[in-house]
Amino acid sequence: MTSAEVAIERRGGTIVARLSGEVDMTNATRVREELLVSVPNDALALVIDLDGCRYLDSAAIEVVFDLARRLGRRRQGLRLVVPPTSPLRRVLTLTEVDSVAPIHETLDAALAQ
Amino acid sequence: MLRRRAHRYRDEVATRARQQAAVAELGQRALAGLELEELIEDAVQVVVRELGSDYVSVLELTGDGRGMHVRAGHGFPDGVLGGVLPATGEQLPGYALKSDGPVVIEDFASEARFGPSPLQHDLQIVSALAAPIGARGRRLGVLGVNSRTPHHYSRDDANFLQAIANVLGAASERARTDEVVRDSEARFRELADTTPALMWMTDSEGHVTFVNEGWLRFTGRTLEQELGATWAVGAHPDDLHDLLVHWRGASARRTEFRVEYRLLRHDGSERWVLAEGLPRYEDGEFVGYVGTATDIHERKLMEDALRESEASFRDLADTAPVMIWTTDERGLVTFVNEGWLRYTGTTLEEELGPSWSLGVHPEDAPGVISSWNEKLAARQPWELEYRLRSRSGDYRWIVDRGVPRYEAGRFSGYVGTAIDIHERKTVEARLREVYEREHTIAETLQRSLLPERLPRIDGLEIAARYLPAGRGAAVGGDWYDALERADGRIALVVGDVVGHGLRAAATMGQLRNAFRAYGLTEASPSQVMARVNRLVMSGEEEAMATVLYLVLDRETGEVTFASAGHPPPLVLTADGAHFLEGGRSVPVGAAEPGVFREATADLPPGASLLLYTDGLVERRDTPLEDRLDDLAEAAGQAEGGLEALCDSVLERVLGQRVPSDDVALLAVCPRAVASEAMRLSLPAEPESLSGLRRRLGRFLHAAGATEMEAYEITLTVCEAAGNAIEHAYGPGDASFEVEASFENGTLVAVVRDRGSWRERRGTHRGRGLQIIQGLMDDVEVSTESDGTVIRMRRRLAA
Repeated sequence: MTSAEVAIERRGGTIVARLSGEVDMTNATRVREELLVSVPNDALALVIDLDGCRYLDSAAIEVVFDLARRLGRRRQGLRLVVPPTSPLRRVLTLTEVDSVAPIHETLDAALAQ
Repeated sequence: MLRRRAHRYRDEVATRARQQAAVAELGQRALAGLELEELIEDAVQVVVRELGSDYVSVLELTGDGRGMHVRAGHGFPDGVLGGVLPATGEQLPGYALKSDGPVVIEDFASEARFGPSPLQHDLQIVSALAAPIGARGRRLGVLGVNSRTPHHYSRDDANFLQAIANVLGAASERARTDEVVRDSEARFRELADTTPALMWMTDSEGHVTFVNEGWLRFTGRTLEQELGATWAVGAHPDDLHDLLVHWRGASARRTEFRVEYRLLRHDGSERWVLAEGLPRYEDGEFVGYVGTATDIHERKLMEDALRESEASFRDLADTAPVMIWTTDERGLVTFVNEGWLRYTGTTLEEELGPSWSLGVHPEDAPGVISSWNEKLAARQPWELEYRLRSRSGDYRWIVDRGVPRYEAGRFSGYVGTAIDIHERKTVEARLREVYEREHTIAETLQRSLLPERLPRIDGLEIAARYLPAGRGAAVGGDWYDALERADGRIALVVGDVVGHGLRAAATMGQLRNAFRAYGLTEASPSQVMARVNRLVMSGEEEAMATVLYLVLDRETGEVTFASAGHPPPLVLTADGAHFLEGGRSVPVGAAEPGVFREATADLPPGASLLLYTDGLVERRDTPLEDRLDDLAEAAGQAEGGLEALCDSVLERVLGQRVPSDDVALLAVCPRAVASEAMRLSLPAEPESLSGLRRRLGRFLHAAGATEMEAYEITLTVCEAAGNAIEHAYGPGDASFEVEASFENGTLVAVVRDRGSWRERRGTHRGRGLQIIQGLMDDVEVSTESDGTVIRMRRRLAA
């Protein structure tokens, strides 16, 4: 069974979503909904912290692109936190996720933007 | 040919799933308390529907065990139902009754073990299938299906029929047990409520768990007001302090106690009572007190009166309803009151002088004389319970007590009182009998509910132990269970019903069935837990249990578990032992709606899982954490297979100690994964992906891939598999295959499906292809006659 958890926290104008567990085609839609409803209109940006995330497949990556599009329309930013040692890093670069959501190594760095 | 075989396999799987669902449904109905009669009818209909036989019969063993009564059936001509067939082992019904499992008859003509029953003979039955109902050694009957034309009943059909028979067996057992439980509890209440004494019972903590009618009538309070806190609440404020000191002292030492105090009666008056408490020990384990209070107000008044004046004492004594006597300084009886004479039917002349053994039961007389002489010599108070012949000639228990009295500072003899305690003594003895009886029934019930043997499951080693608490102790409600779900995962349960005795054992049976039923239909452990909780909370009787429910994917080693207040499962690897944390919630039956959490973990290759109940780690003298550490250490040191592991854990943790509570232990180990190559055939559905990831992860880890390599290869193969899943366009394409192997340090992965390759279905499929090509050294897509094959290579760094 694939399971992922989303923990939401507000840091000033920024929403921090810690995504842990695994995301694949079975739960990508649910994760997308959870992330979407966590961002109120008055928020400036969403930071998805992938430090605790063990697996993302193409469906999950598509969620990031979709979120970037939707948030962009509302003029809200999207940034990702991926530690330098994370196995996810190469895949995210390969699929050019960083073109729509800048990738930071730490949460502090992402919040400093 | 291959395809046809695949079809047949699929049909079999579908049939099996349908049959299992039918069993689960019937089990649920049984659980919901459907009347046995209706349940039997339902069972017949289910069997007719699933096996489609000409005749279905439910035979019930007659009371004398010599015949089998046709209790229900389908398809039979008029007059068959209600008839009786012989139970001889030379005919199928009698043979099946004594067999360990279902009996399959391809053709009676070639059957050498037994013949058909007269009924089967008359109906010209050719093929048949019969399953015994009820536990071995306590068979209740036989469930049978019969066909007039040759019919091959498969192994699955036989297992299905046996499962239905088991539901019927469990339901009949339960129907019987319910009666016994009701009977036993009613007896206890009746006994306690008809005794003239005031009675109370406490648990080991001293909280009141029971007071009888007599007590309530006396104090005028309600049961709710009396239960809980302490039985001493009704004491006169002036006596309360001393009483509590006395009671706490005795209960800390767990000794008998006897104390006099003033108890407030419902009308506000105070009455002197003699409170006596007996610790209840069950095989060395202290389980609480049973206590009585006897009204001794009159006796107390006598003693006070005596202190004031000898003369007024005698006047009073003769009109008092108690038995009173006095002696001189040599111990010779100088006076007995009217009450004594009325009781014994003797005359004053007979009683005066050295009359100590007069009317005393011959068995008790030596004790009476020796104890009296001893106390008299030391001029100490004397007290003894013994049997005294009453006026009617019957011996009745009395408690007799004498205190030394002094006149002008000089010892002048004893004054004594006696009261009849016969009822109380008898009740005590009968209570003990009831306890013992209840224990025996509970133990039998519990045995009958544990699986006689664990199911054999491919790809999984399994071992279990059940260690009852010491003899004489109340039976606990522990159980374990293992079953194979339709999706191929294994559900494991270990639980412990709070409380002891009959009710706990009966609750355990219901919970075990509930977990079986929900475990087959619900995928998520927290959901199973929530549904069982709802069932328990909706029940009339209060029940609570700690349960560990765990689902294991033996292919991938993935475990998902929920712990309802239960100690954590233990994982054993070559490096040692550790507990699986998380997934913890409150016990089942504690709250509704209950919120149940679950947690997931990966079992490393070769690891074993150990589930247990807290009897294994329960010891009052050590904190739980230390005991868990001891368990982990003991399990970590064990060597050999699972059977040896169980023995070794029990021996190291318990030593020579007889457990004070029941202990259930369940150990499982998925068979090790091959490291040179793997091959899987999985259903073409998204839910297969997580299993594929675990299995691949384990394979790559065993082959020495780095974490990064393992992740990238797993992701790539899963992307290819995701493609295969999206290609599937009909039931015929409902599976895909994955192979992985190594060629000179290069991983070769092949994903094969039966659809045609479609590129770019949606943007994320496009990204999928991007990932596949970006992360693999070499990718080859070929379309073969019956599907698409993606072949991928990646060289490993090491």
